Amino acid sequence: MSIMEYNGGSVIAMVGKNCVAIASDLRLGVQSLGIASNFQKIFPVTDRIFVGLPGLATDVTTLHEQFRYRVNMYTIKEEREIEPETFAALVSSTLYERRFGPYFIEPVIAGMQRTPSGSYKPFIAATDLIGCLNFAKDFVVAGTASDKLFGVAEGLWEEDLGPEDLFETISQTMLNAVDRDTNSGWGVVVHLLTKDKVITRTLKGRMD
Amino acid sequence: MPDGSYAHPQQRQFNPYTENGGTILAIAGADFTVIAGDTRQSEGYSIQTRYAPKVFRLTDRAVLAVNGFAADGNMFVKKVKQRLEWYRHAHAKDMPLRAIARLIQTMLYAQRFFPYYVYNILGGIEEDGSGAVYSFDPVGSYEREACRAAGAAQSLVQPFLDNQIYFKNQQLPPGQTRPLHLSLSDVLSIVIDSFTSATERHIEVGDGLEIYVVLAKGRGPQGLEAVRGAQELTTNAEGDRVFIVRRELKKD
Amino acid sequence: MDISFALTGKGYVIVAADTTAAHSIIKVKLDEDKIKTLSPHLLMAYTGEPGDTVQFAEYIERNIRLYQIRNIYALRPPSAASWIRRSLADSLRSRKPYSVNLLLGGYDTSTHTPHLYWIDYLGTLASVPFAAHGYGSYFALSLLDRYHDPEASLEEGLATLRRCIDEVSKRLIVSPGKYKVKVVDKDGVRELDF
Repeated sequence: MSIMEYNGGSVIAMVGKNCVAIASDLRLGVQSLGIASNFQKIFPVTDRIFVGLPGLATDVTTLHEQFRYRVNMYTIKEEREIEPETFAALVSSTLYERRFGPYFIEPVIAGMQRTPSGSYKPFIAATDLIGCLNFAKDFVVAGTASDKLFGVAEGLWEEDLGPEDLFETISQTMLNAVDRDTNSGWGVVVHLLTKDKVITRTLKGRMD
Repeated sequence: MPDGSYAHPQQRQFNPYTENGGTILAIAGADFTVIAGDTRQSEGYSIQTRYAPKVFRLTDRAVLAVNGFAADGNMFVKKVKQRLEWYRHAHAKDMPLRAIARLIQTMLYAQRFFPYYVYNILGGIEEDGSGAVYSFDPVGSYEREACRAAGAAQSLVQPFLDNQIYFKNQQLPPGQTRPLHLSLSDVLSIVIDSFTSATERHIEVGDGLEIYVVLAKGRGPQGLEAVRGAQELTTNAEGDRVFIVRRELKKD
Repeated sequence: MDISFALTGKGYVIVAADTTAAHSIIKVKLDEDKIKTLSPHLLMAYTGEPGDTVQFAEYIERNIRLYQIRNIYALRPPSAASWIRRSLADSLRSRKPYSVNLLLGGYDTSTHTPHLYWIDYLGTLASVPFAAHGYGSYFALSLLDRYHDPEASLEEGLATLRRCIDEVSKRLIVSPGKYKVKVVDKDGVRELDF
């Protein structure tokens, strides 16, 4: 029995043309027993950043609270909102603080990063449970269905997808991956970010 | 330490199995079947060879893909081929596909308590001219399906196939219908995409790709004529026909 | 071996727990109350390691009470759940973690909504329409999937609870004999004869 697979759950984030998307399942289980089908693993950090926290459910809540606290402190001290890249560094160092007694979470970050010219560019990143950052330019995955997500995403994803095409791609990837995973599923939620808005959709999927 | 004395209890162990990586895949169409496998053979993090076929022509209508422990796989294919030859001598014809499937089950279950450590996928044309895929577990449980992936990258490829072959999680606008079977050219594209994806993300998949295409008797080569380097392996041009297509995969 | 159930309905939460206290295979007490009233509109059923359970439940009870004394108002259910969860999560990474599983049922008097939380000894918190801990969960959850109705009257809710308890009595080898059933709604907490 692996701690990382105790509660189940998966997250994926994808880059598109002037947009990003992040999706997760909604299952909370205790090994094979399903407990809840409304367990959110993705949380808003700012208006332009979302973080997904798949892994041990107690640490999902603890880390969410920890990040909320640290981002609030940053906002107060800096008198501005945190940028995705900075937030990724915050996630990394928060996890590395617990290097020898880690939080059992592999965070996935998606956001729109402000560029020096004032425009926004899509940003995604993921880390392992001790905070090793992975800045991918296509997609990042984590959780119990990660290998399935890798397979489907590698087959479906392409460069420069517009918001609606990106939504379809990430939705299909998530749905088909979790359907082949016993510990993920029970509903899917997708967040789609563009420079000026966030669209959140809950998808109808298999409930078995 | 084993020193030959009886002074203390000793244990000796020999592990007769290893895992040699790679992935196989088969998809059935209305009147054709595609059976494919990569050609990398590895043990742990070492590549033993970049060209070790995992897919074998059994007859003009049957192709067998074998994945898992390569030594067992090769021995198993050898024994299946031998049984098919005996059948030819006894009955003066090739064994039908569904009979080969049952034969494979019997041969695998005969080794129930020292199994061939292999996952088999049998593809070809049934006697009624339809494309068919049979997939097996190491001790002979089997099932006829429309598509199946097995091996190291099964978990990467199978959900992709669920989506692209079975159209899982895709719903059509009301009133619209989907063709019951995919065309050969679509299937070939999906197979090649599956393997390039698996190669990208799985260290045990890569080097080369061998795609066998079995066409039902009387079916023209539609979907195959545009394919570069398709080579015919058929022995009797009157019946079902077998082709092979080779492609390179990334070697890193 | 203890078992607890809880379910929400129209304006109420029912919390039920068995009343057995066991030492290995021996039942040493048959009328143990494993549901604490934390505040006028908050119930907590606790199960788990004997010793830890009462110790932890009393710690929670007194701190929730302290908050109410200091602030006049009691913590609302979501805030109480959050604080209790954090207590368990911190305990998990301490030298001697509490192994206590909880069902927290409350009625929010300012929004007039019932709340139910499933909390385990790891500090996992889930807001759910119905919940169970222990062996009872393997029987009750499927029944509750079928029969639970968030708009059900108290009578209907109790009938659903009855189905769960009857099934456990019928099929579980180590089934307990008696349950304590409490309900929390706009009028506060009360115990029901069941």
